[in-house]
Amino acid sequence: MHRSPPGARGFLIAIGLLGGALMVAALAGLLLFWALQAAFPRPVEEGYPGYLILIFGTLVLIPILVVLGRRVPYLTDWYYLLPAITFLLAFTVFPIILTIYYAFTDYTGIRNGKPDRSTETVVVQVEGRQLLVEGNAHDLLRCDEPDCAGQALEITTRTQRARVRAEQASGNTITLTAPPPFAPTLVYKINEFRFIGFRNFVEIFSRAGTVLLPILLWNIVFAAGAVVVGAIPGLILGLMLNNKNLALRGFYRTALIISWAIPVVISVQIFTAMLNVQFGPINRLLGLLGAYPIPWLTDPEWFKVSALLISLWLGFPYWMTATLGALSTIPDDVYEAAKIDGANGLQTLTGITLPLLRQPFIPLLLGSFAYNFNNFGLIYLMGPQPGVEGRPSTAQAGDILITWAYKTAFQADGGQAYGLGGAISIIIFFLTVAISLINFRFTGALREVR
Amino acid sequence: MAAILRYLGWALFGLLVAWLLFVYFPGLLARIQPNIPPGFVRIENGWVYALGGLLLAVGLIVLYAWLVTLLVNRRTQRKRSFWPLVGQGLTHLFMFLVLVFAYYPVLQILAASFDPRNTLYRILPPASDNLLVRARVIPDFSQLSWENYAKLFDGFILYPYQAVLLVAAALCLLLVLVLAAYRRLIGDADSDSSLGKLQGRSLTAFALLSFTLVVFLSPAQFTGQGTEAKFLLWVRNTLFVSGITGLLAVLLTATAGYAFARFNFPGRYPMLLVFIFIQMFPGFLGLVATYVLISNLGLLNTFTGLVLAYSGGIISFGTWVYKGFLESISKSLEEAALIDGASKWQVFTKILMPLSAPMFVFIFLLQFVGTYSEFIVANLFLTGVDSWTVGMGLRNFTTGQFSTRWGLFAAASVLGSLPILLTFYGFQRYFVSGYTAGSVKE
Repeated sequence: MHRSPPGARGFLIAIGLLGGALMVAALAGLLLFWALQAAFPRPVEEGYPGYLILIFGTLVLIPILVVLGRRVPYLTDWYYLLPAITFLLAFTVFPIILTIYYAFTDYTGIRNGKPDRSTETVVVQVEGRQLLVEGNAHDLLRCDEPDCAGQALEITTRTQRARVRAEQASGNTITLTAPPPFAPTLVYKINEFRFIGFRNFVEIFSRAGTVLLPILLWNIVFAAGAVVVGAIPGLILGLMLNNKNLALRGFYRTALIISWAIPVVISVQIFTAMLNVQFGPINRLLGLLGAYPIPWLTDPEWFKVSALLISLWLGFPYWMTATLGALSTIPDDVYEAAKIDGANGLQTLTGITLPLLRQPFIPLLLGSFAYNFNNFGLIYLMGPQPGVEGRPSTAQAGDILITWAYKTAFQADGGQAYGLGGAISIIIFFLTVAISLINFRFTGALREVR
Repeated sequence: MAAILRYLGWALFGLLVAWLLFVYFPGLLARIQPNIPPGFVRIENGWVYALGGLLLAVGLIVLYAWLVTLLVNRRTQRKRSFWPLVGQGLTHLFMFLVLVFAYYPVLQILAASFDPRNTLYRILPPASDNLLVRARVIPDFSQLSWENYAKLFDGFILYPYQAVLLVAAALCLLLVLVLAAYRRLIGDADSDSSLGKLQGRSLTAFALLSFTLVVFLSPAQFTGQGTEAKFLLWVRNTLFVSGITGLLAVLLTATAGYAFARFNFPGRYPMLLVFIFIQMFPGFLGLVATYVLISNLGLLNTFTGLVLAYSGGIISFGTWVYKGFLESISKSLEEAALIDGASKWQVFTKILMPLSAPMFVFIFLLQFVGTYSEFIVANLFLTGVDSWTVGMGLRNFTTGQFSTRWGLFAAASVLGSLPILLTFYGFQRYFVSGYTAGSVKE
C-alpha cells in the first residue's frame, strides 16, 4: 500500500479522500459552531464570529489527516499541496463558482439577497402561521407583489434569526407558508435576486456591435500596443547599454529603472495630472514647440494615445532589464568569431544579436500581452473618460473589458449590476484562457512540465 | 506556402503602417482645437528652435570628438577614426534625453510636494525671467516649504520606546548600506564572508525592528485634524498587510512548489493545469463573492479578512516560479539524503529550504510590492480612515469630494513610494535573478 495506484484511479482516490476529509472538517466546524450558538446563545447583533467555523474545522481536520496518512501512506505526497489547495478552494474556486452563478441572476447592489433593514417592522403577536404587525403590512414591508405573495422575509428575536416566506398579507396580518420556528419580535423584507437564465449574456451580445466588439478590439490593440511601445524602446536602450566601453553604463542602468520601481497607483495619477489639457506640463512643453493644447484625456482617440504613452513610460525599464539579461547570456566568442569573419556592426546586430534574443523574448512578449490585456490599474486610474455616443457610461472610450466589467459590477453608474459584471468576467476568462493557450503553444511551457 | 504567408504578413503590416500614417494620425491632429487657453504660452514654430538646439549639441559633440581624436593621434602617432567617440557622445546625449523623460514626472511631483500653493490648476503664470518657468514646463521653485509634509504628520505622537526602536532600525539600515557600499568597493561578492554575514544579520534586525514598530503603532497616536494626518497610519497598515500577504505567499507556495517539482504522484499534471488555469479568472471580479464569504466569516474591516481575500490570488504564480527554480537545482544531493534514510520532509527542510532563500525573498518581495499599491480590494474590505491603506488614501486626495488636494497628494506620494523604492533598489539583484531563474528558464 506504499505506492499509489497508478493513473487516473490513483488520482481520483487521492482527490476523493482529501476532498472527503475537507468536507467532513468543514461540516464538523459548522456543526460545532451551531452547537456553540445553541448552547450559549448570544444577541443577534453581537453573535459569535464566523471565523470560529474555520478554527473548529482545522482542529477537526488535523487528526483526520494524521489517521489518513497512517492508513494510506502515499497520500502524504498530497499533504504538501494541501495548504495551497485549501486556500485556492476557499478564496479562488468558491468565489469563481459563486460569480458564475451570479452571472445567471439579476443580482445588483439593491437585490443582493440581504434583509432590508429599513423595512424593520415590529411583530405584535404570533398566531400559528400568522404574524400581526402595527399598521398595513404591505406598506411597512414594501413588498414587490401587492399581496406580498411569495415574499422572502427574515424574522428575528434577540438571539435568533430565520428566513421564512410569506403566503400572503392583508391589512395588518402576514400569513407565512409554514409556522415560524420561534415567536419573532421583528420582521424584515429580504431583497431577493432571481435566476434569469442567459438574459445577461443576451444583453451583452445583443449590443455587441456598439459595446462588446469595439471594446474587445481596443483591448487587443491596447495590449499589443503597450507591448510594442514598451519593448522596442527597451530593446534599443538595452542594446545601447550592452556596450561595455560606454562610460556611466551602470549608472544609466540603475537610474532608468525608476518608473518600474514607483507604485503604479502613484505614477499613473501623476501622469493624469501632467496630461491635463490646459494646465499639464506636457501640453505646456509642446506649446513651446508650437503645438496647440492637445486634448489628451478629453478626446476619445487621444485618450487611447495617452494610455499607450503611459504604458511606454511604465514599460520600458522592464524590457531594458530583460534585454540586458538575455544579452548577458550570449557568449563573447560568438561576437569575436563574427568580427574575424569581417561582419560590421549592423550585420552582427541583425545576424547574431536579434536572432539570439528571439528565443528568450517570445515568452516575455506573450506574457506581457496577457498582463496588459487585463491591465486594470492603468486604465482605471486614468480617471473619468471621454464619452462615446451610444455606449453606456460604464464602457467609454478607453475602457477595456476588465474596467467595463468592474464599473458595471461595482459603480453606481453601472447600477452595481453584479450579475451582468459576472457575465462579462466569464467572457474575459475565456478570452484569457484562449490567449494563454496560444502562449503555451508557442513557448511549449506545458509540454515541458510533463 | 510559407513564403506567400510571409509576404502576406508584410503586406498587412505595410497596410497598417500606411493607415496609421495617412489616415489615423491626420485624424488625430484634426481633433486638436487651435485655441489658446489663458496662461498658455505658445511659440509659433518653436520646434525649429528646439531642433536647431539639438543639432547644435550634435555638432558640438562631433567637434569635440574630432578635436580630442586629433590631439590623441598627434601624441600617439596613430591614425584612429573619431567616429567611435562620436557614437559615445551621441549615446550620452540620447541617454540624457531618456533620463529627462523618465524623471520628468518625478521632478514634477517633488516640486508639487514642496509647493504650499495648489499648483496644478493655477492660471496666473509665475513671475520669472525664465521662459520655461513662465510656461510652467519647469516647476517654479520660488516658494518652497515643508507645509504639505507637516500636514501629513500633524498631531502625531511618537512614544519614547518607539523612538528608540526607530533609531535602532535606522542604524541597522545605515549599517547595511555602508556595508554594501564597502563590500562593493573591496570587491567582496561572497555572501558567506564575515562582512556578508554581518550585512545579512543587520538586514534581518532591521526587518524585525520595523515589523515590531509597525505592529505597535496604534491609531491612538494620531491626534491631528483631517484625514491626511493619518498618513503614517496608512503606511503602517499597508506595510502590515503587504508583509503578512508576502509571508503567506511564501508559506503556501513553498511546499506546493516542492511537491510539483520533485514528486511524481498520479494527478500531478492535471493539478498543475488546474493551478495555472484557475488564475486566469479575473481575480477581483470574484470580489462580491469573496465579500460575501469574508462577511460571513465575520472578518470585514479586519486586516485578516483583507489578507485572506488576497491569498487566493497569490498561490499559482509563486508555486510556478518556485517549481521552476527547484527544477534548475540538481537532484543528486537529495537522492543521496533519501538513500541515507531521510524523509521527504527532512530533505525539504534541511536541504532545499536553505538553498531556496533567494527564491523565497523574490516571491515575498513580488507579493509585497504588488500588495503595497493595491487599492481596489482594500477599498471594498476596509472602512474607516483608521484602517485605510496608502493606495486608498492617495485616491482620496485626487478624487476628493470638494477638490483635488494636489500638494498633499504629492507629499504623500513621495513618502509613500519610499518603502517600495528602497525595497526595489535594495533587492534589485533578486528581482532580476528571480525573473530569470523562475519564470524565464530558456
